[in-house]
Amino acid sequence: METLAVTLLACCAVGWAVLAGTDIGSGMLLPWLGRGDAERRLVLASFAPFFLGNEVWLVATVGVLVGCFPALEGELLSGQAPVLVALLAGWIVRDAALWSRGRGPGPRWRAACDAAVTAGSWTVALSWGLLLVALLTGRPYEPAGGPVALVAAPAVAALFAAHGLGFASLRLTGAPYQRARRLVGRAGRPWHPVALTAVPLGGLTLWAGAALPLAERAAAPGTLALLVPALAVVTPLLAAVQAWVWYAFRGRVTGPSYL
Amino acid sequence: MCRGRPAEHPWGVHQDVLDLARLQFGLTAAGHFLFVALTLGLGTIVAVLQTRATLTRRPEDARQVRFWGQPYVINYAVGIVTGLVMEFQFGMAWSGLTHEAGNILGASLAVETLVAFFVESTFLGLWIFGWHRLGRWAHLATIWVVVLTAYLSAYWILVSNGFLNHPVGYGSEGGELVLTDPAAVLTNPAALLPLVHVLAGALLTAGFFMAGVSAYHLFRRTAEADFFRRSLRTGVFVAAPALMAAAVSGGLQFAALASFQPMKAAVFRGQAAEIARVQAELATRFGPGDYIPSEGWTRGGGLVMLIAFGLMMYLCFAGVILAAFRKAVLRFRLWHLVLMASVPLPYLAMTGGWVFRESGRQPWVVYGLLRTEDAVSALSPGTMRLSLTVFAALFLLLAVLNAWLLARHARRGPVDTGLGRDERTREEALQAPPLPPY
Repeated sequence: METLAVTLLACCAVGWAVLAGTDIGSGMLLPWLGRGDAERRLVLASFAPFFLGNEVWLVATVGVLVGCFPALEGELLSGQAPVLVALLAGWIVRDAALWSRGRGPGPRWRAACDAAVTAGSWTVALSWGLLLVALLTGRPYEPAGGPVALVAAPAVAALFAAHGLGFASLRLTGAPYQRARRLVGRAGRPWHPVALTAVPLGGLTLWAGAALPLAERAAAPGTLALLVPALAVVTPLLAAVQAWVWYAFRGRVTGPSYL
Repeated sequence: MCRGRPAEHPWGVHQDVLDLARLQFGLTAAGHFLFVALTLGLGTIVAVLQTRATLTRRPEDARQVRFWGQPYVINYAVGIVTGLVMEFQFGMAWSGLTHEAGNILGASLAVETLVAFFVESTFLGLWIFGWHRLGRWAHLATIWVVVLTAYLSAYWILVSNGFLNHPVGYGSEGGELVLTDPAAVLTNPAALLPLVHVLAGALLTAGFFMAGVSAYHLFRRTAEADFFRRSLRTGVFVAAPALMAAAVSGGLQFAALASFQPMKAAVFRGQAAEIARVQAELATRFGPGDYIPSEGWTRGGGLVMLIAFGLMMYLCFAGVILAAFRKAVLRFRLWHLVLMASVPLPYLAMTGGWVFRESGRQPWVVYGLLRTEDAVSALSPGTMRLSLTVFAALFLLLAVLNAWLLARHARRGPVDTGLGRDERTREEALQAPPLPPY
C-alpha cells in the first residue's frame, strides 16, 4: 500500500512539473514571445484550455501528501513555509492576471496583466527550484539558501522557460511561432523539444521526492487501505480525461481565446 | 490523549505565532468562502439555464446562459486561488493538526482534491474553452460535471470540518488518531447538516445576486428590460425556497449543539449559570483550563447571521408576491433599489454563521481532542507575520478585483463579448458542423 501511495504522489508531482511547466514556461517568456497586445493574447491562447487542468496536479500532490503522509506533510510544508508563501503568491498573481486580462478595460490594463503573468510565472518557477534544491541537498525541513540555491534555483527556472519554449513552438503560429522556432531550431520532429525538457523536469522532481522518508512516514494502515485504492482507481480516469482535453485542443492556435 | 504539543517542536510556540496563525486562517477562510458561496449557487443556476437553452434552442435562453455564466467564471477563477492557500496552510501553519489528526482529516482532504476538485477544474476549462468546439449536449454535460463535483467538493470539505467540530469514528493508537469507522465519519451529522445549509446559502447568495444585478438594469431602464425581467424573477424564486432550506438546516444544527457543543450554545444565549456549569464539567473531563470561547465573536457572529436572516426573510416574502406582477418587476423602482442594496446580505449571514461555528468551539481545533494552541506549527514570528501580510494583502486585492470585475460586467449587460463568443476564424467555422449559438 505504501508503494502505491508513493507512486501516486510521484505521478502527481511529475505530472505537475511536466504539464504545468508548459504554461509556466510560456508565461515566463510572454513579453519576449509576443510583442504587442494581439500577439500576447495569442501566446496566452496557446495554453488557455490547459492551464487550469495543469495546475490541479500540484493541488493533487499536496492532497496525496496530506492524505497518505499527513505528519510528513505538516513538517515539510511548515519547514518550507517562506518558500511556499512565495510560490502561492506567484501562483495567485499569475492566475488572477490571466483570468482578468480580457475582462478589464483598455490596453494598459492588459499590459499590466501581462506583466503580472510573467512575474508570477517566474516566481512560481524559482520557488519550485528552491524546493527542489532543499530536497536534493538533504534539508527538506528548512528553506534552501547559500550559493547552491543561488545557482540551482535559476537553473530550474531556466529549465521551465525552455520547456515553455518547446511548447510554444508546438502550439503557436505567426510571429510568436517564428520567434520560438528561431531558438528551438528545426532539428527533429515538432514535439521533440518539449519532450526533451520534460525528462529533466520530471526526473529532478522524482529525484527530489526520493530524498523524502516516504515509506516510513505513511499514514496509519486503516486510512491507507481505504484511501489509496480509491485514489488509484480515480487517477488513471483523471489522466484519461485530461489526455482527451489535450487531444481536443491539439491543433495550433491561430486566434485569441476567452482569456 | 493527544494533548501535548507535537514531539518535533523543540521550543514552545510563541503566543504571537498562535494569534497570527488564527488570524490568517480566519481571514483567508472567510475570504475564500465569499467566492465559494456565489460559485456554488450561480453554477447551479447557470447549469439549469443551459439545460433549458439546450432543450428550447431559443436564442434568448442562450443569452441568459452567456450573461450569467460570465460572472460565474470570473468569481470562480478569482476564487480558485484562494482555495490553494487554504489547502497549503493546513501543513504550513497547523502541522500539529496533520500530525495528530492527519489519519482522518488528511484522507478527506485528499479525496476532495483528487476526486472532486481535480475533475471540477478540468471540466470547467472544457466548458469555458469548449464553446463552439464541443457538441451541444457534450457542452451541457461539462457544466453539470463541474456543478456536481463542486457539490462533492463541498461535501468532502465539510466531512473534514465536521470531524473538527464533532469527531466521530476514530480511535487512538500510539498517541495519534486513527480511523476506525469510516461510515461514521462520512455520515457525521456535523457534516451533512452543514452541507445542506451551505448549499442552500449558496443558492440564496446567487438568487440575491441575480435579482440585484437585474434590478440595476430595470432601475436604469436599460434596453434589456425583458431579459432582466426574466432573470429578476429567477433570482427571487430561487432565493425564497433557498432561504427556507437554509433556515431549517440551520435550526436543526442549532438543536444538535446541546449535545455536540453545549458551551457554544450557552455562550450564544448568554446564560452565565449554564456557562459556569459546562466549564466545570469540561474541567473535570479534560483537566483545569479555560473552556469558554470568545463571547464577542461567538455571539456577534450568531447575531449578525440572525439579523441578516430576518431581513432576507421579509425581502423574500415581499419578493415572491411582487415578482408575480409584471408591472412591479418592470417599474417598482424603490424595490429595485432595495434589491440592489441587499446583495451583501447573504454574504453577511454566511460569514457570521462561520464565525459563530468556528470561534464557538474554541479552545479546541478538534473538539475535545486537540487544542488549537497545540496544533499550530513551530514557525518563527517573522515567518508567520510575512505569511499573514502577504496573504491578507493578496486576498483583499482579489476581493476588490472580483467585485470590480463583477460590477463592470453587470453594468455592461448582455453584450456579445467574453464568454461563449465565437472566436474561430471564418474558415474554421465553415469547416465545422453547425454548433450551438451560445
